Amino acid sequence: MTIFLLVLHGLVGVALLGALTHQSVSLLRGRAARGLAFLDRYAGARDRTFTTAIVVLFVVELALGAFIYPAYRLGVRIPFEEMSLGWAIGVFELKEHFAGLALAVLPYYARTWKAELAETLRVDRLVITLILAFVVWWDFLVGHVLNNIRGLE
Amino acid sequence: MNRSRFSAATFTAVFCVAYIVVFALDLPLFRYWPLNGDWTWGRATLQDAGPAMAWYGLMANAGIVALVAAFVVPDRFATRLLGNRLWLFPMAAMAACVFLLRQFFA
Repeated sequence: MTIFLLVLHGLVGVALLGALTHQSVSLLRGRAARGLAFLDRYAGARDRTFTTAIVVLFVVELALGAFIYPAYRLGVRIPFEEMSLGWAIGVFELKEHFAGLALAVLPYYARTWKAELAETLRVDRLVITLILAFVVWWDFLVGHVLNNIRGLE
Repeated sequence: MNRSRFSAATFTAVFCVAYIVVFALDLPLFRYWPLNGDWTWGRATLQDAGPAMAWYGLMANAGIVALVAAFVVPDRFATRLLGNRLWLFPMAAMAACVFLLRQFFA
């Protein structure tokens, strides 16, 4: 069951990563891309339509992570301590705290993407979207690397 | 008329501050002891119960504080005060997390 949830956690993470990266690139391009180049097409997605999907995916992702967290605490962190892998414990702790803070950012993130506030909250929308993208990338990569060192059983 | 009194800006800002405070002072609402599936309030400890997990309790504590604030502080006020600067809260909170966990990277 734990392995199934871990795989699901990874798959939802990939979807979230894709959606947030799409939205971030689109935001950074700053204008409607109309070219045929790959980056233009990538950034040309309707960035606003990703917002609800990102919020839902993030909540599901965090819930899955919270559910399998005890298995990490017992089956992975203790071996890390025995192997003196302090940095591995540290980066996972950051993953957990960043994810918690990102969850709290979601209501405001969704608000900044409302059409009527697009100009008023332009800076917040840009930076908060990039913060969310950073957190999701960080959490995905840390989870992947640590799972390679010592996976859940 | 605004349908909801919930202020997203207040929730995000207060959660970030409250989270760092409860994390730095080790003030979880409760702790989970995964070895036997036990729960304890606050910082109470259990003998021979294995490692404790405080993260759920930290989230709950910060969440309660932020929820109360989000229904008390009007959104118009929070947005006018913090609009386009609110990103500083999660950014500072993340930096504080790195600082508080620095012993793992020494």
